Amino acid sequence: MSVLVAYKRTCLLLLVMALGIAFAVTDLRVATWHALLPLFEWMETTPMGVVGKTWGAVFALVQTVHLLAMALLGGAVLAADGRLLGLVLTDQPLQQVQAQCHRVWLLGLLLVVASGLFMACGVALKVYYLEVFWFKMLALTAGVLFQWFVRRPLVDHYGAVSQGSLRLVAVASLVIWFSVAATGRWIGFSG
Amino acid sequence: MNALIYDFARWLDTHAWSTGLHESYYMYNWIESTHVLALMLSLGMLFLIDLRMLGLALPQVPATTIAQRLNVPMLAGFSVMIITGLLLFYAIPVRTSQSLWFRIKVVLLVAAALNAWLFHRRLRAAGGGWDAAPRAPLPLRVGAALSLLFWALIVMCGRFIAYDWFDCNADPAPLIGALAGCVPGQEQF
Repeated sequence: MSVLVAYKRTCLLLLVMALGIAFAVTDLRVATWHALLPLFEWMETTPMGVVGKTWGAVFALVQTVHLLAMALLGGAVLAADGRLLGLVLTDQPLQQVQAQCHRVWLLGLLLVVASGLFMACGVALKVYYLEVFWFKMLALTAGVLFQWFVRRPLVDHYGAVSQGSLRLVAVASLVIWFSVAATGRWIGFSG
Repeated sequence: MNALIYDFARWLDTHAWSTGLHESYYMYNWIESTHVLALMLSLGMLFLIDLRMLGLALPQVPATTIAQRLNVPMLAGFSVMIITGLLLFYAIPVRTSQSLWFRIKVVLLVAAALNAWLFHRRLRAAGGGWDAAPRAPLPLRVGAALSLLFWALIVMCGRFIAYDWFDCNADPAPLIGALAGCVPGQEQF
């Protein structure tokens, strides 16, 4: 019992992973997908969906905002992870760089999600049937959860965490956010 | 001039490698994806530098430190973007060279490069007395704001190239056609 208390965050993470795997391999995943169809049908009827479908130029402008926001978010991730890996801003205090990059990351995330939501409304039924769209949503969710529940707590306890662990965190973060961007790009090539 | 550019693009188009690159689903998409994903490195670093100058990001990190340390990864990102961008042009030379958005993008790229050169000159001239201040001196802030504007427009034009609104085979208005470089009687692509 004391082990569970001492490693409660690790236990919670393992539980979330086990639930995720159970969701993926059972009928629940397909049932959830079917249940979400009305939501995606409704998304296309919203003002954002109608504008996105009818006004190609507006859709393209929002795509531009999405790309710029992705660059902002990516810049914050690369600078923060680069600092953890000892590649950039190595003479600046680690926690200061992490805290300030987190604010930029948050702004980038808000813009990415807002513009992404608009774009998804315009092509809701197309993306609903695209496997890569769901991979992107999974990667994005994993990235946000990783940032809040793994990365930040470890960085906050900088002194108590080994350099090796922090480097692993940085590599994992880079892989996750690269996956988000790459799957997002692949949506454009699919369907 | 437009006829010259058209002839050059047609010549590129006769290369087997150009056709092969265009028709290779995976190769073309990998190059395009790399071009877009390199944005995170090049523009990501550029945004951090410009936002720092404007006092909107990383205010506690000395401004010249940010500019010097993030310059190298930023230039690495831009190098990848230039190489992949040239390959993308090589894959579809005629349509790209006759895209109004591509032409505006090239002009904006030149403007952004000039602005970056001026920015670095001003940065050297400004010395380091203001380094710890949350905002850079006015000339540097103007340079940073222009840089953000130019790159936002460059990304927009890059995105718009994919759309065929003003393509030569879509019979654009005479002025648009001339700006896009449409050549009377040219083969349609």
